[in-house]
Amino acid sequence: MKTTLSVSALALFAATGAIAQDLPQAESQWFTDGQSAVQAMIDRQPNTNTAKNIIVLVADGNGVGTNYITRLFDGQQKGMLGEENVLPYETPDWSSALIKTYNINAQTPDSAPTAGAMNTGVKQRFNLINLGGDAIHDDCSTVEGNELTTFGEIVTGMDKSVGFVSTARVTHATPAAVYSKTANRNWEDSVPEECDGIQTDIATQLIDQMEAGMIDFAMGGGRRHFVPEGVETDEGGSGRRADGVNLIDRATGLGAQYAWNTETFDALTTDAPVLALFNDSHMEYEADRADDDEPSLADMTKKAIEFLSQNENGYYLEIEAGRVDHANHAGNAARVVRDGVAYAEAVAMADEMTDDEDTLIIVTADHEHALALNGYCGRGSDIMGLCYDIAQHGDKHSDELVLGSDGKPFTVVGYLNGAGSVLVEQEDGTFAAPEGRPEITQEDATDLDYVQQALVPKSSESHSGEDVAVYAKGPWAHLFDSTLEQNVIFHVMHHAVTAE
Amino acid sequence: MQTRRTFLIAGLAAPMLARPGRAADETLRLRELYERRGTGLSDLAANLVGERISVDGFMAPPLKAESRFFVLTKMPMAVCPFCESEAEWPNDILAVYTKRIVDVSPFNVKITTTGVLETGAYRDPDTGFLSMVRLTDASYV
Repeated sequence: MKTTLSVSALALFAATGAIAQDLPQAESQWFTDGQSAVQAMIDRQPNTNTAKNIIVLVADGNGVGTNYITRLFDGQQKGMLGEENVLPYETPDWSSALIKTYNINAQTPDSAPTAGAMNTGVKQRFNLINLGGDAIHDDCSTVEGNELTTFGEIVTGMDKSVGFVSTARVTHATPAAVYSKTANRNWEDSVPEECDGIQTDIATQLIDQMEAGMIDFAMGGGRRHFVPEGVETDEGGSGRRADGVNLIDRATGLGAQYAWNTETFDALTTDAPVLALFNDSHMEYEADRADDDEPSLADMTKKAIEFLSQNENGYYLEIEAGRVDHANHAGNAARVVRDGVAYAEAVAMADEMTDDEDTLIIVTADHEHALALNGYCGRGSDIMGLCYDIAQHGDKHSDELVLGSDGKPFTVVGYLNGAGSVLVEQEDGTFAAPEGRPEITQEDATDLDYVQQALVPKSSESHSGEDVAVYAKGPWAHLFDSTLEQNVIFHVMHHAVTAE
Repeated sequence: MQTRRTFLIAGLAAPMLARPGRAADETLRLRELYERRGTGLSDLAANLVGERISVDGFMAPPLKAESRFFVLTKMPMAVCPFCESEAEWPNDILAVYTKRIVDVSPFNVKITTTGVLETGAYRDPDTGFLSMVRLTDASYV
């Protein structure tokens, strides 16, 4: 009986396939687009070449929800309703999977151990970078014997070049995971006295690795951590190094080129290692950046690939859009999406400049945020604005606002916690909303400085443990499938560069 | 206390420039006082030096109790441990010197501050806070 049923099911499937073009929906764009998508996936052939180059692009804090608002914003900026937009890494020629981001001891991860997991192949503990599971945060005595070998060190042993780009400080968690090992992610320019002789600060580790020939290209913000206390930096700020060492001088003394603004960025050549520090702290948000002051993430990506691709043995390049995360922490979705679009442009640049035959490109995030999306909004509701009702006719939203039970409108994007909390501290120290949620206008909500409403009052909005996506193309990209632990990303990279 | 590029043109008010159109009672956004990226005063602000203006923003947690001084920020002054290892002022802030002792407002409630726009370096004698742009004789709601 079972055999008969199977045969019948097959016959039905075949018959259904044969008449697909006769279906009443067959002429629909949705239907034909769906067929095209399936065909594109059928045509996708596993690439089992050995990867000469690996590029990992991380948008910090760009989980599935955050990526969603960037997709809609980008589409709406291009005149679309937004939902139908496709970011450069969302086409069928990219493989994809979901990534579980938790740390050894944290359901909600931070950027240090998550970047460390991608760079070493093992999960790590909260606030640590590239130390094994027995190392303890803030405890130097647990560093020795727990240092992990990084992907950068492995491929340096294969005579490849290593570099990174970030819009955060170069000593911040995600870029630091390419080259450093530290019991505390905040030891960017100094370590506690008891750590002397055990580990150095993160900035010193960077220059040590440039001297050792491991890092050839380092670009981002964080200049103050390389300049002595009391010494003026290039743009009038002040250095932070208590040890009095000028690490920029040390790097240039070793033969590195140094850039600190767009003009000096443009003057960089490809004949010496690069240290570029465009801001005392993080680089500017994309919304606040000026081209004549700081290069874009796409420009930095281009420069990095031009430099690193000189090595005929290949390279490993990590690129971070670091400030997607910071804008989320501020509860300011307007800057999140603008940095998100700049990231998408960097991905497109990396893809355009490389060959799928020999370069594995991985696009991912380290963690998500406590960002949440309201409903039920009609198509094309401004993703930065208020939720408009679903229209009965056509596809675009109606002109009616969707109201909460309190009779007030709300934005599409919100946060579960943060500075935008509707509960405000009262004079007696309690938190309440005596007049309910603040009223919001579309003009307020779409302002660049608008902070979305949140629930739990916190000074800074938090990460969340929700999954992020990974997208990949090039050698062995097809291994990204299903739901994976974050440290598996390293293992795909490692397999790709060592595959016979 | 200044962070970036130290508002190099902050003292260079340009009274000869044409003033962009603005209603006298218009409330300004704090970012309108600055060039893009907080590198210096905007033409609008340069032309308003010495005038009484109103600016929207948020009161940062006061540096000193029972003071007539607070800092206005364009967004709530969030303290983000994963962004900065210590609290840092953004580039585009406004020092406010009030007529009366400051009645502290929560850091995330928008206020409108009205006062006389001043520029030039001034170090607050009580807190050591160095400001380049200020509202003086100010009040807020």
